[in-house]
Amino acid sequence: MLLIRNFEVRAEAAYLQGKIGGFFHSYIGQEAIQTALLQVLGKNHWYVTTYRCHALALLLGATPNELMAELFGRTTGNAKGRGGSMHFYTDRLLGGFGIVGGQIPVATGAAFSIKYQDKQGEIAVCFLGDGAVAQGAFHESLNLASLWNLPCLYVIENNQWGMGTAVERAVSIERLAEDLAPAYKMKGYTFDGMDYFHCYEGFKHVFNEMLETGRPVIVEAVTERFKGHSISDPGLYRTKDELKASMTRDPVLIMKQALIEAKLLNEESYKKMDQAEKEKVLAALEYAEKSPWPDPSTLEEDVFAPENGVAS
Amino acid sequence: MSDMQTVEFREALRQALDEEMTRDERVFIMGEEVAEYNGAYKVTKGLLDKWGPKRVIDTPISELGFIGAGIGAAMTGLRPVVEVMSFNFSFVAADQIISNAGKMYYMTGNRYSVPMVIRGPNGAAAQVSSQHSHCVEAIYGNLPGLIIVAPSNPYDAKGLLKSSIRSNNPVLFLEAELSYGDKMEIPTKEYLVPIGKAKVVIEGKDLTIVSHSRMVNMCRTVVQELAKQGIKAELIDLRTIKPLDIATVAASVRKTNRCVLVEEGHYFAGICAEVGFEIMQICFDYLDAPIERVCQRETPMPYSKILEKETLPTVPRILAAAHRTLR
Repeated sequence: MLLIRNFEVRAEAAYLQGKIGGFFHSYIGQEAIQTALLQVLGKNHWYVTTYRCHALALLLGATPNELMAELFGRTTGNAKGRGGSMHFYTDRLLGGFGIVGGQIPVATGAAFSIKYQDKQGEIAVCFLGDGAVAQGAFHESLNLASLWNLPCLYVIENNQWGMGTAVERAVSIERLAEDLAPAYKMKGYTFDGMDYFHCYEGFKHVFNEMLETGRPVIVEAVTERFKGHSISDPGLYRTKDELKASMTRDPVLIMKQALIEAKLLNEESYKKMDQAEKEKVLAALEYAEKSPWPDPSTLEEDVFAPENGVAS
Repeated sequence: MSDMQTVEFREALRQALDEEMTRDERVFIMGEEVAEYNGAYKVTKGLLDKWGPKRVIDTPISELGFIGAGIGAAMTGLRPVVEVMSFNFSFVAADQIISNAGKMYYMTGNRYSVPMVIRGPNGAAAQVSSQHSHCVEAIYGNLPGLIIVAPSNPYDAKGLLKSSIRSNNPVLFLEAELSYGDKMEIPTKEYLVPIGKAKVVIEGKDLTIVSHSRMVNMCRTVVQELAKQGIKAELIDLRTIKPLDIATVAASVRKTNRCVLVEEGHYFAGICAEVGFEIMQICFDYLDAPIERVCQRETPMPYSKILEKETLPTVPRILAAAHRTLR
């Protein structure tokens, strides 16, 4: 969580210095959710997420160096400088998708693959935002996943805002998972997305249940992003007091407090940890800065995958 | 056993599917009515009985969902063949085809490819009106990363579908409802037709006619009519729209110095517009007349058969265009 927090803070600063372009969607405020899920499931599943993808790539083993280099548009970047902030990958992360809801059928297909290939113990995990609940792609995916018994875990990270539109102005139901799931004969759960331990216990229960049933499940993790929708969003739709109130439930602080109370952490060791993660990110900034730009002569490479002489 | 067999277009496709499913267990078929109904146009007839419901899968009417799921399956190790009952229905899955399938390999820095075929009838049928008759090749042709194949006959259809299933890239495989019953003698032995290679189907010296898919057959009639008038036209079947085999077209135009382009889709920003521009670029000094094209007129497809015939290319319209190049 501290690596994610440090990465987002430093990358945002680099953006404001003009070193990073395009869109930039920060995960600050939502860190507990994906961190807890990875802690429960491990890496050996298919993962799919939204354009708010920096954290999941880090959790799945992408290095801060390759991710920062991608943000800087360098050839050493995670996607060779072709993807940018919204398109990060690992050998288990299918993206990083830029269109709201566009990733959901893809995750459903990954779950189809797992079932087709009979990969025991594996599932597909699809993160989506509250905004994507209104997309038809979500409905079609839930219907297929339930109909075909696909092991897909749909995690709605409800950060309260689809850009500047509050969730209650966009979605006609209140409990995004629990109200929706029964219509698809699925189970739905609501987690406190600010509380790592609550998420951890919840995902543990859901994962065990999925291993038993092979069925899809919907989870709503209630959270709130502390930043604008993207870096260019001043967030005028919520008051400073509202934001301040939500920040009292900062997932990093909640976890820190719990660990201090359990005597597993003290202020000093916390600072040390934070400093260590900060240094990794500072090194990544330096790496990105020093990395070469893509060679313009490579522009038209890789539009198509190599055919190995089979098809043409 | 004879080394040749006479088959319909749909049977040629079915054989391609069956052979590739035998060859590679990662290949599966999914779409509306492909399994228990045996295919809306009977292309998948008998495949459920042979391969079972794991590999021949009926879907709900949910193109966005199942085309997207096909992309996810392709990214994670499978080789889906997704049937759309009409390519007009692919429009509800446009985000998946355009933003995901076509861009994935490049966007991911070569991490994920999408080896997937989307196939089904494209363009006009018989009086099915505007929402079932649109030609999609010009729309999807504008998107880097998609391969577009459009065979005109059973031989090419079988060989090209097999190559498409083996391709490591997303292939839009365009068939024609009115051609599914076309018969042709093809080899009984396995063969492939390469993607990206046009074919000179009739040789000639006086002008070049370029077309693809069902319109190639109409152009054959045109070539015969011209022959009666003592004009020897060369006919080229593009077979693959993208990547476009402009070299074969250019070699012909350099020989004949005249060219008529024919497509079932519309004029504006159509395949003919692209082929014509490329000919102009590389054969400018060889052209003895302006390039002509015959396409669908700029209307949605009307229902009435009189109007339907009027908007589509016809033999007289193509003949008139040929004569304009010979003036």
